[in-house]
Amino acid sequence: MTPFTTLTAVAAPLDIAKIDTGMIVPGRFQRLPRRAGHADYARVFLHDLRFDAQEQPRADFILNQPVYQQAGILVTGPDFGCGSSRESAAYATLDFGVRALIGASFGDVYRGNCMQNGVLTIVLPQPVVAGLMAQLQAAPGARMTVDLPQQIVTAPDGATHAFDIDATRKERLLEGLDDVGVTLQHLAQIEAFEKQYRADMPWLAPIL
Amino acid sequence: MSAPLSLFDRVWARHVIVPNPGGEELLFVDRNLVHDGSTFLAFDQMRSEGRTVRKPKQTLAVTDHYVPSAQRATAPASIANAEIRRVVELLDINAREFGIEHYGVHDARQGIIHVIGPELGWTQPGLLIACCDSHTATHGALGALPIPIGQSNQLRHVLATQTVWQKKPKTLRITIDGVLPAHVSAKDVILAIIARIGIGGAVGHAVEYAGSTIRAMSIEGRMTICNMSIEAGARIGMIAPDDTTYTYLHGRPFAPNGNNGADWDRALAYWRTLPSDADARFDRELSLNASELAPMVSWGTSPEDSSPISDSVPEPASVTDAEKRGRVQRALDYMKLAPGTPLASIKIDRVFIGSCTNARIEDLRAAAAVIQGRRATIPAMVVPGSTAVKRQAEAEGLDQVFLAAGFEWRDASCSMCGGSNGDLVAAGQRCASTTNRNFEGRQGPGALTHIMSPAMAAAAAVTGHLTDVRTL
Repeated sequence: MTPFTTLTAVAAPLDIAKIDTGMIVPGRFQRLPRRAGHADYARVFLHDLRFDAQEQPRADFILNQPVYQQAGILVTGPDFGCGSSRESAAYATLDFGVRALIGASFGDVYRGNCMQNGVLTIVLPQPVVAGLMAQLQAAPGARMTVDLPQQIVTAPDGATHAFDIDATRKERLLEGLDDVGVTLQHLAQIEAFEKQYRADMPWLAPIL
Repeated sequence: MSAPLSLFDRVWARHVIVPNPGGEELLFVDRNLVHDGSTFLAFDQMRSEGRTVRKPKQTLAVTDHYVPSAQRATAPASIANAEIRRVVELLDINAREFGIEHYGVHDARQGIIHVIGPELGWTQPGLLIACCDSHTATHGALGALPIPIGQSNQLRHVLATQTVWQKKPKTLRITIDGVLPAHVSAKDVILAIIARIGIGGAVGHAVEYAGSTIRAMSIEGRMTICNMSIEAGARIGMIAPDDTTYTYLHGRPFAPNGNNGADWDRALAYWRTLPSDADARFDRELSLNASELAPMVSWGTSPEDSSPISDSVPEPASVTDAEKRGRVQRALDYMKLAPGTPLASIKIDRVFIGSCTNARIEDLRAAAAVIQGRRATIPAMVVPGSTAVKRQAEAEGLDQVFLAAGFEWRDASCSMCGGSNGDLVAAGQRCASTTNRNFEGRQGPGALTHIMSPAMAAAAAVTGHLTDVRTL
């Protein structure tokens, strides 16, 4: 995955509570392959909020405003990503171009899946999130900065807000290490295990 | 003298690469099974990261969820639904690109992943078997350690590393002793267990099924029991290997057979060391008397909502726990059932005999024995668990028994268990089904599912209502 260090990007205010993973990627797209370029998953991100039954963009939905086409940060209502464990929700978030989400709370599994895919979810107190939401609504297209090494979010008005993150998760994001990357740090141990295992179980040789 | 160990403890310990007592440990995966579900996401992700499968020989792929159960000769080209067709094609493409053996639509070894693993001897005692499916515990029936994993990120991790991170669960031994009464099967045993402990009853535990009833049971029956462990909340279910296991495995394609039989002997010597020590400790123990069991059917929307066929639909008012009372009422509303209705009077619209729970040869024999010389009065279909099971059933003439009785005789697929391939129960239709889940909408939106054994499903096909097979 792509390492996450510091991100300065247009931030979009998505002031809706409890956007579940079924709204992030509706169930009927569960069979959608994720091809190189990832345009398909960018398209299905929040699909039914963004598009009507005729596949036309809903003019009144905030992410359809031209100024948010390049949004890299989302400020979200509480419980964004609650619901089913589908990992496609994290894929769609990333493929749409979002690398950081800021909210008062997130769905647990979605949060973990985002981390695996290099997307940072930042939890800030609800009044702070409400303040950011208000600033972004007052100045559409405003940019924010997320500084992961310093664990600081810089609001459009220049105010800074510190956030917490699990030290292991932070390290993995900074290094661009997902679960596979972490495991492969144990490669020598894995190979030594396998060598001994093969020696102990010679009858398994045809498929080990 | 080392501390006494259970089967589960022993096999777990044998696979730990990075120990971390109390936390997630890194385990070696002997064999990994991949089906066609949503697994393309794992391959898509690997492709975009430029990763390869670390040990391709240790993974086997088979198409089962999305493959059609009819008009197979022209599949996948003839699959009308483009998305379903694409999923079937993608497994073939991904397996080829990543160098994995794949049993496709027309392969004689194709079948439901949990049926073909044991059938081919891919599943063996003491091996850690990972599979991206919640019914992976099926493989524990042979004394393997089954680890169910997710279809995207966790599968990708196993493919890329041949390892899995897992927190060691607690242990629960369920001891079933006694002789099963006539027409009472493995399915009735596991439904009785789930009805007793609830769908959350074994959460966080690896279950070992033990006792004289299990010892007397075939491998097919043991698989039915382990298969539904997840319906009691347990991701892992295991049964100690014994002579029944070794006889079942001997001569199967992936069973050890090299070095003039020496490999088999060495494997056998190892397998015999696996069963739980007599004084092994379990975190919990439960016991069940087999001789008191009766044929079971489900009446609600969870496998725990199951009762002996002689019972009636429960009265929500008589449920003391308020939360459970509300849940039972909602279940009866969905199932369109009035409290107090005798279960044996409930009319059925169709019958499905199939799935990883009950579509092995012994299941088809049990259903055929009931249907022999009788006729189905409602639409009914049999979907064998594997192409090999289908061929064997045909060699035994079972297909003719089913066809003569008016059943459809289809090709191996997960089919109407979850309906991924389009084999659905219509909204409002009531289905007697040998599957594992009776959740709302499981067999199709608005479908009303009653789960039961193959013999009980066959009896329902004859009478058109839930029926005690003992009285047929």
